[in-house]
Amino acid sequence: MIKQEPLTHAINMNSYINNDFNNTDETKEVCIQIKDLNLYYGDKQALYNVNMDILKKKVTAYIGPSGCGKSTLLRCINRMNDLVDTVRIDGEILLDNQNINDKNLNVSALRRRVGMVFQKPNPFPKTIFENVAYGLRIQGINDKRLLAETVENALRGAALWDEMKDRLNDNALGMSGGQQQRLVIARAIAIEPEVLLLDEPASALDPISTLKIEELINELKEKYTIVIVTHNMQQAARVSDYTAFMYMGELIEMGATSDLFTNSQKKQTEDYITGRYG
Amino acid sequence: MMNQEKLKAWIDSGTPWIWLNATAVSICLIMVVGVLGLVAIRGTSHFWPGKVMQMVYKNDDGSAPKTLIGEHIDTSLMSVAMAKANGHVMAENEDKLVQFLMKTGNRDLTGSDFGWILERNSKNVTYPKELVVIERREWGNFYGYLLSLKENGNVIAQGDTLWAKVNEKLTTSLALFEEIKKLEKKEIGAVNYSLERLRLKEKSLQLKNKLTVADQKEISAEREILDAEYKKFQAQLTELYQKGRTISVVAKIDNGSELEIPLSKIVRIYQPNAMSVMDDIGFYFTKFSEFLTDDPRESNTEGGIFPAIFGTIMMVIMMSIIVTPFGVIAAVYLKEYAKQGVITRTIRIAVNNLAGVPSIVYGVFGLGFFVYILGGNIDQLFFPEAAPAPVFGTPGLLWASITLALLTLPVVIVSTEEGLSRIPKSIREGSLALGATKFETLWQTILPMASPSMMTGLILAVARAAGEVAPLMLVGVVKLAPTLPLDGNFPFLHLDRKFMHLGFHIYDVGFQSPNVEAARPLVYATSLLLVAVILVLNLSAIIIRNRLREKYRALEG
Repeated sequence: MIKQEPLTHAINMNSYINNDFNNTDETKEVCIQIKDLNLYYGDKQALYNVNMDILKKKVTAYIGPSGCGKSTLLRCINRMNDLVDTVRIDGEILLDNQNINDKNLNVSALRRRVGMVFQKPNPFPKTIFENVAYGLRIQGINDKRLLAETVENALRGAALWDEMKDRLNDNALGMSGGQQQRLVIARAIAIEPEVLLLDEPASALDPISTLKIEELINELKEKYTIVIVTHNMQQAARVSDYTAFMYMGELIEMGATSDLFTNSQKKQTEDYITGRYG
Repeated sequence: MMNQEKLKAWIDSGTPWIWLNATAVSICLIMVVGVLGLVAIRGTSHFWPGKVMQMVYKNDDGSAPKTLIGEHIDTSLMSVAMAKANGHVMAENEDKLVQFLMKTGNRDLTGSDFGWILERNSKNVTYPKELVVIERREWGNFYGYLLSLKENGNVIAQGDTLWAKVNEKLTTSLALFEEIKKLEKKEIGAVNYSLERLRLKEKSLQLKNKLTVADQKEISAEREILDAEYKKFQAQLTELYQKGRTISVVAKIDNGSELEIPLSKIVRIYQPNAMSVMDDIGFYFTKFSEFLTDDPRESNTEGGIFPAIFGTIMMVIMMSIIVTPFGVIAAVYLKEYAKQGVITRTIRIAVNNLAGVPSIVYGVFGLGFFVYILGGNIDQLFFPEAAPAPVFGTPGLLWASITLALLTLPVVIVSTEEGLSRIPKSIREGSLALGATKFETLWQTILPMASPSMMTGLILAVARAAGEVAPLMLVGVVKLAPTLPLDGNFPFLHLDRKFMHLGFHIYDVGFQSPNVEAARPLVYATSLLLVAVILVLNLSAIIIRNRLREKYRALEG
């Protein structure tokens, strides 16, 4: 009973923020299609037959208990799991109808289209400017005016410009955790990806920074398709349009956030959301 | 019972353990301070001008008493039994025998610089102000009295004016000497070098059967010009030499024999007993700077050690230039690209164990492989005209640097690998997620962040290489190198040349020198300098590393 209290509040807030969600005439264009995805770490299977559509310019949240495979699934979308030697992936992930699990795919090009922000802020030990410009420099862009312009836009996009415009040449490691995380988001959007993957972006931050990140996500979804992994159900309720609940490597249920939280179809989902386990 | 409990409580409290730790640290500190202190005190005191005493000395053998002039160097005490065993006659009331080590100089007249005397036999010790010490270019120091100054055999100064006149003439003579040295080393050296290159060019064309008449003409024309230049310099040199030989001082030593010393053979004349403390200090610094900047004389027992300092630093820099890229590249491959399996592990163990191979083994390998095989082949391929004289097929700076680079490679590899593994995974992922390839991630982010660790490896490498002597004796270090490996003759850096090294210099002066007593203080002074050079090299590397560390401060936690 006690655990339910904040949740009710969260759902109220969610319906408040996403009040346009129930508009029926909204276009629902699929951005990413995951088909029969199975993933193994060595002999251990981590994802079982995952099928899911992720809609363009919507926020999709993955929720579920620790170790349920939500981060693993997220990292499949930009092939981050390639870094694990023992990983084996079956199935397809289509990004604009192109299978990204194709062996001949240019992974760097994919990652330029699918940006990612990690759990812990990971700015490079460079200046703020160079952090944001990193992705562009990698692409061989060295034109000073273009760089300055892009950095400014990215920082504005991450709501960091006003705070940081006089400190662009300071080391990024001198910023606070929340600022660092927004810097990392700025760094990701500087290369104008289509999709942004956020892996528990606020779990290492204080409540105020968390709020700022959530506000930012709401702004960013106008331009980007966002997939967010979160432990925090209130957060999922607040920021996402769609929510997928995962358990033990399986996708249990997925649907519009307000539906899932108020009227889940599966008992497991309901149990998790109401805090009976997790 | 109470005591036992107390003892147990005391042990359990950890106090004895803390004491044990503190003792170990103290012993280490005492040893370090002791080593450095001994070397520093012995090394720096060498340059202080000792007072010279004159005494009447009567030998035990009953011969007539004689005058003895010398500098007191050391004192030794001998017990009565020891003294008797050594054949000294001891009186009843004597409980020990005191011996003085005296530096009496005048090796050309008396046969040795140093001698032990018995304190009880010395009488009337005085410190006459007129006593002079003459530092000569040959035969070591002279101790005695000045009598007169001669020019072309005629006395030009005597008595009261003598000292001033001698100093005046000596200044001129030293300037002359500098001129001669410059002419010999620089101008004539350059002409000789050009002549040698010309000869090699001609021979190389001959070997290739491409020597045309035009070439030959050109070469002989050039040679004529050089020969003319050489003759001109030679004439100048002869003139300078003759000028230097005309003046000489006449001096008298303790046994009364007189000696005429040409001014050109004199480095310095001073009256130690007439010098004030300020004079002493001035003298000290002059001597010390001479030690740092001058070439060695008298088979390294006098003069300076500049070529050795230069050679050491040069070799260490060359070694660093070679070892850093190799070590870093190897470490990057092992850590980042190689599949982590049995083979990689084996390679890593092998690399770690390489650090434990005795350095002389590296020297033998360097001589066998680098010098003879590699160098020999290079000579055959690229320098056939120089045969039978070897160019790279003989020990030299390049081979010494490469051998030491090989010796220090494991250190650089290990610390670079450690640095690479300390970089958080999140940084790599962050870079990769922005569309960077693995190579771009390494180059843009990981390697700069690992650079402090590379510097740590380099610091350890430098510390080890600068102090290494054994392998160097096989692959490039010599007792006396006529030229520095860096000079004004094209191509300026001569990697094929042999060089001098402080560590080898210590060994050479201390153990291979004909004059052990004279060399001993120099061993300390050179050791001190070797430590100082390593310290400077290390400090500069540490400063660079700390800058890098500050810049690439890794993400905490």
